[in-house]
Amino acid sequence: MTTAAVAPPVIRLSAVAFTYAGPPPVRALHPMDLVIWRGEHVAITGPSGSGKSTLLNLLGLLDRPTEGTLEIDGIDVGSASERDRAAVRAHRIGFVFQSFHLLPHRTSAENVMLAQVYADLPRRRRPGAAMAALTQVGLEHRAHALPTALSGGERQRVAIARALVNHPSLLLCDEPTGNLDTATTKELNDLLGSLHEGGTTLVVITHNPAVAGHAERRIAIRDGQLVEPENDMPAGREGERGARPAG
Amino acid sequence: MARARRASRRRVVAAASRLRLRDLGSEALAGLLQRPGRSALTVLGTVLGIGSFVAIVGLSETATGQVGKQFNVLDATQVTVSDTGANQASKPTLDFPADADAAVDRIHGVIAAGVWWTVQFSNAAVSSRPGAGQGDQLSLPVTAATPGALAASGAKLARGVLFNQFHQAHAQNVAIIGQTTAADLGISSLQQQPAIFIGGQPFTVIGIIASDPRLPQLNLGVTVPESTARRLWGKPQAGQGASMLIHTRLGAAQVVAGQVPIALRPDNPKLLSAAAPPNPTQLRHAVTTSLNTLFLALAGIALVVGAIGIANTTLVAVLERAGEIGLRRALGARPRHIGTQFLAESTALGLFGGLVGASLGVLTTLVVTIYHHWTALLDPRVVLAAPAVGGIVGLLAGLYPALRASNVEPAEALRR
Repeated sequence: MTTAAVAPPVIRLSAVAFTYAGPPPVRALHPMDLVIWRGEHVAITGPSGSGKSTLLNLLGLLDRPTEGTLEIDGIDVGSASERDRAAVRAHRIGFVFQSFHLLPHRTSAENVMLAQVYADLPRRRRPGAAMAALTQVGLEHRAHALPTALSGGERQRVAIARALVNHPSLLLCDEPTGNLDTATTKELNDLLGSLHEGGTTLVVITHNPAVAGHAERRIAIRDGQLVEPENDMPAGREGERGARPAG
Repeated sequence: MARARRASRRRVVAAASRLRLRDLGSEALAGLLQRPGRSALTVLGTVLGIGSFVAIVGLSETATGQVGKQFNVLDATQVTVSDTGANQASKPTLDFPADADAAVDRIHGVIAAGVWWTVQFSNAAVSSRPGAGQGDQLSLPVTAATPGALAASGAKLARGVLFNQFHQAHAQNVAIIGQTTAADLGISSLQQQPAIFIGGQPFTVIGIIASDPRLPQLNLGVTVPESTARRLWGKPQAGQGASMLIHTRLGAAQVVAGQVPIALRPDNPKLLSAAAPPNPTQLRHAVTTSLNTLFLALAGIALVVGAIGIANTTLVAVLERAGEIGLRRALGARPRHIGTQFLAESTALGLFGGLVGASLGVLTTLVVTIYHHWTALLDPRVVLAAPAVGGIVGLLAGLYPALRASNVEPAEALRR
């Protein structure tokens, strides 16, 4: 792959492990390797307590790995300064949370624009960009509605618009359908699917099989160890290391 | 490792996450306006503190200004020396030496000075012709005064002249009378050197006084040279001692008052007591300190309570909005961005409280002033500084909550 030589993978974990400082210290993630390439749609599944959330916090730069190196877009973010990690979060990672985390007193557009504050987009360009992101999730007609006036599915789509507005390298979704009913879950799956087709790199952490099923690559996590079926490795990348326990 | 870290930092630095001042302002304001009721209640303490501070300063300045207004130049340049010795004596006494006027004139800062007293008659009768019957006699106050006393009193003549050192030295039977007295006695012109009779003694009227700002009683009666009065009627009656009126330069009154008794009676200065007008600066000081220390302390306590209120509300907001803090961190906010935002919110609360408080303080001052028909006096610097003080109170109150906010662990906060 010539592109692989030019563009580094979106995520590269090399022998990354995480231990919660005690007492007593708890090993949440055992040393693991994982590479996720641009444009991939990856589902990470696992029961609660398996280390899913810990992995999400590492990938979202909310925690630092205690061992190994973590790279986002080729940047060693595991050892980077807090300032640089905040910059990577602002520009390269879009978060979608189970509980949406919309500010209740702000309209959809204002909630989307909050992401542009820290990414330092000039103020006059924010409404246009926010509207474009809302259009991308099909909510342009609800731009001036407060979250309280929106359905659960609409709220999550506003949250996705907020995550997309800065054109991140990675869309990180934490149980995005955890608070949604079956019909809305399907809508959201379709939206994620269309985003994937549009070239967005998606990492979805979920224990919902319906959501995981839509991903082109599924990685399971059990007791802090990664397990990935071989046939889910992306075609033409057999030479690359996928997900496997390090060493 | 260090090199790699530096390298990665270089790559990212170009697009560091930021919080522009304008964004900080609008985010802080949005945070406050989310709960307008709570914000309003929170600033109540600051409003009270700043408001009472401004009102106290305004009212004390206004009150001091009223006191100051009563100090006209006339009063501020006048010293009155009374003969305490004579007031306590049982027989007629005059404790002022004969050369009292000249002695006081030599004191630095004195413009004019002179002794005077009201002559007590067993039968005070003034008439314009000798041997007049009861019906033609007037009972008028007769004042004995030195030429110096007339000069110090600021007497203005309608006609004629004041008596001078010649009349005083030779105890001449001359008199000056007030305008109303002249009308009562039927004297309109001094060209014929009209005479009046005081207790049977003839006097030539040489002047008619139009006004006398410091000794207004001269306007209503007859004034004769001090030496003449002493020759005819003796020293001032017991208990009705003489006084000395001193006209000083502006600002010299206090010093002159301290020197006069010693200058006149070095042998026994206690016989005389000099009264100077109250010192305006001392008075202002007295008003400010005695009346306001307590109130200023209360305002300070209200301000501290206000600061605690802001600190408490901001701290509660930090705990309540942990999810929002986590979200902002996930969106790229650095800990200092979070801290600054909460600091800006508490500062804005304090500033707002200061503004409202200053307005209420000015309003209170105005209402009280208008009620008393005073002139409102308030240093504009106090009014302008009040909101700034409020802002500083808010800033200080927000320090600890802001520190807590910036230390919130985003991963944990987002899980809620």
